[in-house]
Amino acid sequence: MAKYIIKRILWMIPVMLGVLIIVFTISYLTPGDPVITILGSGYTPEKYAAKAAELNLDKGYFGQLGSYIWGIVTRFDFGKSFYSNLSITGEFARRFPITAALGIFGCIIMVVLGLPLGILSAVKQYSVLDYTLTVIALVLAAMPGFVLAILGLVLFGVRLRWLPITGLDTPKSWILPLATNAMPCVAMIMRQTRTNMLEVIRQDYIRTARSKGLSERTILWKHALKNCLIPIITVTGGMVAMVMAGSIITENIFNIKGMGTYMYAAIMQRDYPIVNGCVLLIAFIVCCVNLIVDICYALIDPRIRARYASSGKKHKKKAHKEVT
Amino acid sequence: MSLLEIKNLSIHFVTRYSDVHAVNGVDLTIEEGKTLGLVGETGAGKTTTALGILRLIQKPQGRYESGEIIFKGKDLLKATDDEMRSVRGNEISMIFQDPMTALNPILTVGDQIAEVIHLHGKCSQAEANERAVKMLEMVGIRAERAGEYPHQFSGGMKQRVVIAMALACNPSLLIADEPTTALDVTIQAQVLEMMADLKKGRGTAMLLITHDLGIVAENCDDVAIMYAGEVIEYGTLERIFHNPKHPYTLGLFGSIPSLDKDEERLHPIEGLMPDPAALPAGCKFHDRCAYATDECASCEQELAEMESGHKVRCARVMKGEI
Repeated sequence: MAKYIIKRILWMIPVMLGVLIIVFTISYLTPGDPVITILGSGYTPEKYAAKAAELNLDKGYFGQLGSYIWGIVTRFDFGKSFYSNLSITGEFARRFPITAALGIFGCIIMVVLGLPLGILSAVKQYSVLDYTLTVIALVLAAMPGFVLAILGLVLFGVRLRWLPITGLDTPKSWILPLATNAMPCVAMIMRQTRTNMLEVIRQDYIRTARSKGLSERTILWKHALKNCLIPIITVTGGMVAMVMAGSIITENIFNIKGMGTYMYAAIMQRDYPIVNGCVLLIAFIVCCVNLIVDICYALIDPRIRARYASSGKKHKKKAHKEVT
Repeated sequence: MSLLEIKNLSIHFVTRYSDVHAVNGVDLTIEEGKTLGLVGETGAGKTTTALGILRLIQKPQGRYESGEIIFKGKDLLKATDDEMRSVRGNEISMIFQDPMTALNPILTVGDQIAEVIHLHGKCSQAEANERAVKMLEMVGIRAERAGEYPHQFSGGMKQRVVIAMALACNPSLLIADEPTTALDVTIQAQVLEMMADLKKGRGTAMLLITHDLGIVAENCDDVAIMYAGEVIEYGTLERIFHNPKHPYTLGLFGSIPSLDKDEERLHPIEGLMPDPAALPAGCKFHDRCAYATDECASCEQELAEMESGHKVRCARVMKGEI
């Protein structure tokens, strides 16, 4: 198991390198000269050359790529913004914790609300409660995040004046951004949980558990829940990426100074170093989430645990063959 | 007093679109320590009867329309859910048809056995674990395998685990629902032999559900033949095997190829079992029966005592016409 995890972590290196090269190449090939954009009209060739050298744009493709990778690996330096000349790493350090906090709280809400409601919906299948939850979930899942955010703003911020409409200064101000970010995910987790739970409680081993005289609660928590968690973990992993993407919209609507607003502004201004850095960061997070998801599978299901252990051996043999 | 007495049990599955009459007025009696064989085709209502005894019929579609299930003098259909839970796995336990799916894939087999001992045995978890390991050894599985998961066992081994689980609390009645159908023939014999030994040693009564008459002949004291949710012939093993009366029972025995005669073709019972959502009037078997008269198609048949210890649900047999 430990071997498997280490192997997976090492695999992240080529994946990240691949993402880095692709992202860098795209921005390299994108038409438009950033130096001209920055200097505006009326620059002299000397000024141009000086700016290009400063931005590291006077070298060829490989030279630029090499120094970009070198900067990230050795100094964790993603370069500087074309416009503000501020260090991107510094901005990340300031903004990422905010977005991460939004994301992590969002995920907690997603699981804490989605899972129990889904189970409840499954256990009370075809009841009024089940139908009500289903309708709410469908509406939430179908509504784009920005609509939900704006509706929330108009109702709770403007009409009722219960909640502040921008920033994250007070605890109260967290409610709307968190809710709009997490609600569609809560809805999806809930539906997924309901479906899986219904499938699992029809299984033979649940009938066996009943025939043993176990209480419904034990059956649900000990026998059914863990079995229905695997697809839910998969979906939850995907949701993390969704929460990240959703943060771009949420942060812009609520004017939160996180990664979302940063990336949005950079995309609008074509500030490529920032865009590249953000994409790399997101890719890294998604990689980590995938790893966590796979580890969770193994923790829950002994069959998957066994496969991981045996696949480790097979891979080793294959790798050995390739070397020789 | 009999250990279990089922009187006039009817179980229907009611949905918006259909009303399935799975079990219709079944009467069965099991004496302490004895084995009753319940024989019938797929869909005859055998499993529903068995699940019905434990009140494990799927709700809300499954409904008890009538009947009593008297176990040790108490009607299980009137028991509370709590009382029912203390009966399940403790006094009546069940072995299911398919061992591949009957065990929870994410719990170790030791855990799954210890769970039922801990629940009913009123002992500590440690003691329950210890007894679970002993149960495993009793069904021929080495103690150190208690920490393994179901996917690490073969089908026959899994069924042994299920049997160990069912017998862990020394139930007075064991319901075995086609315990060997999913196993291959060599393993079938092993498992049946082991079940018979364990049963004898503990004085457990058994309801053995099967469609294999050979298994019945070797294991049962009494036999009930089920057809379309009804018991159509009921008696001691000798009576049924040496002197079968009901045309359906005759057909069942007739469909077994004989080893002595040189037979070209098998002799199945013509036709199919009626749809339990649309049972025919009169005798449920009349449209497949070679002896049927017009009267059979209109009159309900009663399960009547022909001789002591032998009941038949057929008017013509009772009149002595067959």
